[in-house]
Amino acid sequence: MIPGKYRSVSGRAASNVEFKLNKETPSFPGRLLQHDLERNYSSRQGDHINLVSSSMPSFPILQRSSEEKILYSDRLTLERQKLTVCPIIDGEEHLRLLNFQHNFITRIQNISNLQRLIFLDLYDNQIEEISGLSTLRSLRVLLLGKNRIKKISNLENLKSLDVLDLHGNQITKIENVNHLCDLRVLNLARNLLSHVDNLNGLDSLTELNLRHNQITFVRDVDNLPCLQRLFLSFNNISTFESVCCLADSTSLSDITFDGNPIAQESWYKHTILQNMMQLRQLDMKRITEEERRMASVVAKKEEEKKRESHKQSLLKEKKRLIINNVARKWDLQQHRITNIATNQDGKDSDSQDHCQNDGSTISAFPEETGSLDSGLTSALQGLSVTDTHLVEVDGDTLSLYGSGALECLDRNWSVQTAGMVTTVSFTFIEFDEIVQVLPKLKIKFPNSLHLKFKETNLVMLQQFNALAELRRVDQLTVDPQGNPVVNFTLWKYYVLFRLSHFNMQKINGTEVTQNDMIMAERLFGILAHVASSELPQYHLISILGDARKKQFRYLLETKGKKPGIVNEENNDSKRLVGESTNRATLNYTTRDFYNEKLEEIKEKKKFCKMYIEDLVKEATEINMKNEALQKLWPQMFIELVRDAVMEIRNKNSYMKLCLQQITDQK
Amino acid sequence: MLSPERLALPDYEYLAQRHVLTYMEDAVCQLLENKEDISQYGIARFFTEYFNSVCQGTHILFREFSFIQATPHNRASFLRAFWRCFRTVGKNGDLLTMREYHCLLQLLCPDFPLELTQKAARIVLMDDAMDCLMSFSDFLFAFQIQFYYSEFLESVAAIYQDLLSGKNPNTVIVPTSSSGQHRQRPTLGEASMLEGVEASLFYQCLENLCDRHKYSCPPPALVKEVLSNVQRLTFYGFLVALSKHHGINQALGALPDKGDLMHDPALDEELERL
Repeated sequence: MIPGKYRSVSGRAASNVEFKLNKETPSFPGRLLQHDLERNYSSRQGDHINLVSSSMPSFPILQRSSEEKILYSDRLTLERQKLTVCPIIDGEEHLRLLNFQHNFITRIQNISNLQRLIFLDLYDNQIEEISGLSTLRSLRVLLLGKNRIKKISNLENLKSLDVLDLHGNQITKIENVNHLCDLRVLNLARNLLSHVDNLNGLDSLTELNLRHNQITFVRDVDNLPCLQRLFLSFNNISTFESVCCLADSTSLSDITFDGNPIAQESWYKHTILQNMMQLRQLDMKRITEEERRMASVVAKKEEEKKRESHKQSLLKEKKRLIINNVARKWDLQQHRITNIATNQDGKDSDSQDHCQNDGSTISAFPEETGSLDSGLTSALQGLSVTDTHLVEVDGDTLSLYGSGALECLDRNWSVQTAGMVTTVSFTFIEFDEIVQVLPKLKIKFPNSLHLKFKETNLVMLQQFNALAELRRVDQLTVDPQGNPVVNFTLWKYYVLFRLSHFNMQKINGTEVTQNDMIMAERLFGILAHVASSELPQYHLISILGDARKKQFRYLLETKGKKPGIVNEENNDSKRLVGESTNRATLNYTTRDFYNEKLEEIKEKKKFCKMYIEDLVKEATEINMKNEALQKLWPQMFIELVRDAVMEIRNKNSYMKLCLQQITDQK
Repeated sequence: MLSPERLALPDYEYLAQRHVLTYMEDAVCQLLENKEDISQYGIARFFTEYFNSVCQGTHILFREFSFIQATPHNRASFLRAFWRCFRTVGKNGDLLTMREYHCLLQLLCPDFPLELTQKAARIVLMDDAMDCLMSFSDFLFAFQIQFYYSEFLESVAAIYQDLLSGKNPNTVIVPTSSSGQHRQRPTLGEASMLEGVEASLFYQCLENLCDRHKYSCPPPALVKEVLSNVQRLTFYGFLVALSKHHGINQALGALPDKGDLMHDPALDEELERL
């Protein structure tokens, strides 16, 4: 309702309100800025006015004295008039500036006739809806700050709008502003906006104030060709991705992000600077050349890191796929899965082939890693990669998957890499195949102290004998998966016994105690004793081979003493003594070799059999003849004697016979 | 030495009975295999060593299975060697699975077949729960019977099956014996109702078997002893009884009595020294 002092109808209403004329010309469209308006636009008191109650009970009619009308023909100030409704303004059709600041107006009404209006100020009222403006086609400045507006609407005809101030309202969405192609300043601070989009069409927008909202992402800003200043302070932006369209805006020179979560991030400044090269001010501070340089350096580093980690994760994925493939092949080999699955296998390996091919084989030997960041060379290095096996060197571990991987031992390894390797891990490879490359392993990777076996088909205790030929093994890990030997109660003791010269520290992660060693000796010591001292010499030698013959014989003679102390022979044998030799005869030949050997011996056996048979035949013949002779001899002897006696019976005729025999002989 | 029986046999048979030829052939084969090494210290010495080791029973160490199986003496030596080497395992009290025992056997003979070990395990476990743990002595004695008399046991198994199914092998061999025909009908009825076979009948068949075949079989008298204690018995029952019979063990001569199984003073001394 209209306060009492204005109710006089006629004559001049004595206004006890002092008013000061604002002598400054209000800076019209050309120079209107949001903060100018808020600060410099001083609170003016109302003009000298008359408010008349009209025939319509709710709307007062406003009248001014003709003097004032002439003096201030184009402007009317009704500040702090405790108005609750817009009064009807009669006879002021030339009005260009209308000020309703600091009232209690709830609806914009009764101004449709003021069609020349350029400047309308309704700051600090109780307006709930934008309406009643459809005739104000000339309006250029519309100030609706600090009201209760919930929605931007009914601005269709205000095509000349230059400044739109809607700060301090309850607006949740930017809409219905796309036709305002002359709009230069848009103030939506202190509203309830959660995101920014739908800004297309604002081709003249130079300044956009979005401070103190709840904005999480910003879009469409790159569609604003003239936007120079964007204020996003005190919102909810946390990643650069949510405002990434800003990078595409070439006109932006001034931006604020303070009060957002993003401003707390370590990468905030240089990310913004790097992505928005056109910026001149950030958070109201000039950006120096130094800052820009720093930003680009840091950004490059990050880029590099990201690329590297992407490469690593790609490598890891490839590795995983290959290992899966190798595992499946292994399972097939072990007849764990039926052949029905092979069709699927074919398809899978095809797709893996495809994925391998566009990645291309990676061979990053140490010599070739100049391009990689020095800080990252110590990390994962994937070596030869095909889909049937995988070889990988990761610092101190050499991992081999699939039997094809064993070929890598033939390659030339740099001394540095090979020297660093202390652990060798075998997976999905038959132990018998591993045995054959152990000598190569000894030479190429002399520092390998820890051996790991998983899915290698270790089934017999005997197989551990093969490890004795290595130089030294500190740790042994045999994974129960795929290695049935681990199910045996005595396997650890056997390993400790057979490989006692290695002085192993750990087996499968558990420390080896003195008791373990003693137990191992106790259980198998006799086996060693029997194997060495009770074997016939020739057998011994055939098992041991040339190199150890001398040493062995020497040591056997000095039985009972520790080899290391007694050995005074030349340095050669000293080197050979690594092994307590009474177990040296416990060897392992792979099944295939063994069968081959047996096959070879068959020929010899056949020959031996025949030879012996011949001998036996001869012997039995001789024996038979001997026996026959034995039987016949008495008879023969008697006849011999009888013949002789009969001959000598007549002395004379015997003499004649003898003489005759002698003459005949001549 | 010049006993009449020895001279009574014709030459081949004599040689065969003593398996002389086997050892001769093997010796010559070994000689061929290692001729470079052996030629260094003389062939005569080689033969001395070889036959010495045969006598001592160490010739079978780390040899192939076909050789170990070739003669009864080899088999006995192998059993003895196995006992001596792994007695400590038994002494320690560990109970092992069949596979683990097989592993230990393979340490001494790389191509020892799994079936034999399995059969031995079946004797101990009475053909039940093959993954069970067995004690060293149980396994050893069962293994002895299985390995030493393997052919004999196969025939026995066949006979047992025949008897179970009602056929009496005796009827084939002793055609006009009235006792055979009498026996036929009762066994048919009995076998279906009771477990196993009748002990006395079983013994008769075994006796014939022993007479017929030349490969080694347990002394018939002892077998009779085993069978006389029971009325009926199953196949594995019979085998278990065989394995636990001291007399048979002694007759074999490879292993000491069960009570002494863990004792071997000579080797214990060696062990102390290590």
